[in-house]
Amino acid sequence: MPQKRPDRTLGGPHDAFWDWCARGELRLQTCTSCGHRTWPPVEACEACGSGGLDWERMSGRGRIASWCTFERDYYQGTLPLPYDTILVELEEGPLFLSNPAGFTRQEIEIGMPVALTFVDAEDSAGPFRLPVFAKG
Amino acid sequence: MSYGAIAMPPASRELSRKAAVIGVGESDFGGDYAAERAKAPGYEAPTLEALIGKAFQRALDDAGLERKDVDGLSVSYTYGGPPAEELAPQLGLSPRYAVANGNIMAGPLPRICADIAAGKADVVAMVFGVASRSAGRQFGGNTFPAGGGGAPSSYYYYHPWGWSSQAAHWALMFSHYSHAYGVSEEDLGAVAVQLRAHAGRNPNAVMRKPLTIADYMASRYIVRPLHLFDICIVNDGAVCLIVSRAELAARGARPPVLVAGWGEARVKADKMDVMVRQGLRPVIAEAGRQALDMAQVSLDDIGHFGGYDPSTMQLVNQVEGYGFVPAGSGVAFCQAGGMDIDGRLPTNTEGGNLSGSYMQGWSQVVETVRQLRGEAGPRQVAGLDVAMTSLAQTDQAHPIIYVRGE
Repeated sequence: MPQKRPDRTLGGPHDAFWDWCARGELRLQTCTSCGHRTWPPVEACEACGSGGLDWERMSGRGRIASWCTFERDYYQGTLPLPYDTILVELEEGPLFLSNPAGFTRQEIEIGMPVALTFVDAEDSAGPFRLPVFAKG
Repeated sequence: MSYGAIAMPPASRELSRKAAVIGVGESDFGGDYAAERAKAPGYEAPTLEALIGKAFQRALDDAGLERKDVDGLSVSYTYGGPPAEELAPQLGLSPRYAVANGNIMAGPLPRICADIAAGKADVVAMVFGVASRSAGRQFGGNTFPAGGGGAPSSYYYYHPWGWSSQAAHWALMFSHYSHAYGVSEEDLGAVAVQLRAHAGRNPNAVMRKPLTIADYMASRYIVRPLHLFDICIVNDGAVCLIVSRAELAARGARPPVLVAGWGEARVKADKMDVMVRQGLRPVIAEAGRQALDMAQVSLDDIGHFGGYDPSTMQLVNQVEGYGFVPAGSGVAFCQAGGMDIDGRLPTNTEGGNLSGSYMQGWSQVVETVRQLRGEAGPRQVAGLDVAMTSLAQTDQAHPIIYVRGE
């Protein structure tokens, strides 16, 4: 059963991001002019303004840079409480906000290595694959 | 009316000390909050207009002025309110200058100072009103700003992972900060305890019951690792500032509080990194440099700090970001009494947004004026000549510097 999740942001470059996820790949935009990597998706490079952006595949390896745990329901019961979020520093540099997969707050340590995985999820727009991180 | 901060006029020395705050007024923050909670039979929440009317009358009286002396009206609302042209007759004003002026205390005051300097008005009543609590406002989730332009919140993108609410920003910041500098939850609690102690000396504050570190640790988490008392209160209210041309201000009964400098800086790229791993320090520092240069004062001159405190963590970010203390030492600074009335940098002595009132940076300006005039009573800071307020959100910083005039 896919996990129910709050709605994704869709449209424009967001669709491309989720399309890559559906294929099991985490790809972030990299500016063809200045090389800046960015996430969440943008229409133009946030560093130099260029519209030339390539979807670069990330290795999926990273380390936990920060975390927080939700103990209040902001989503009308869609997500069972409590649940954890982690900020992952990807090997390529960008910070990616995600969830831990297969471990929880008690085991989270800043600096710990993590590795990309996908879970089957569903929101009001339909099924999708959500990038999350297991212990690396 | 647009949702979000309005841009400040660029900092320039030519605009320094051209206008002064000569009157301040607030609604009954503590009393209104208690009445709303008690909900006695027949209770009706005061309307936004009633709150504003009260703050305006108090500011006018404080300035020793009459309605006919006011030739400008500026209105700022967080969740909407009557346009200036509609509000003016309700307040008994017929201004020659009337503007919608954003909401949070980022751009509004500098903008009015610049407009006064440009000759658009001589005496402007600046009103701010927020009725978020009676509107049942919750921060977080799939919500869009009520009454605003429908712009999504800054965290909209992260919903599929359940990352939501302003509090989550401060929580991510603190988890990183805690690890980087060896600061525990219990340590951070000192900031909440200090601001509550300040609020206890302010009869108009919302939360005045003394708070201990034990109370703080026993309180529920909002977003772990942040507790209830790390997050600001939400209450309804209004603030009014009467701002006049500096030459006119000098003729008033009380010492005018001159607006001497301001600055503005925003995150351009890599927001998560600047926010979480750098505590916004580069952004805050840049805005601070602009304000100090405009005011031609040094950081050491500043004797009171009115920082934006939607959370304990964000207040610490500002105290560090402006350079009052080194990065990583703000919590220890507070623990050692540095933010207390007799500390090196008395901070949010009215109780801030954490315990005083959630007026989105406006009540800090009121406190700054009272402090610089020497009218802060039991919480008065001694020997004060220069003060700073600061509005710092998750991606921008807007400091304002004030000096007491003659």
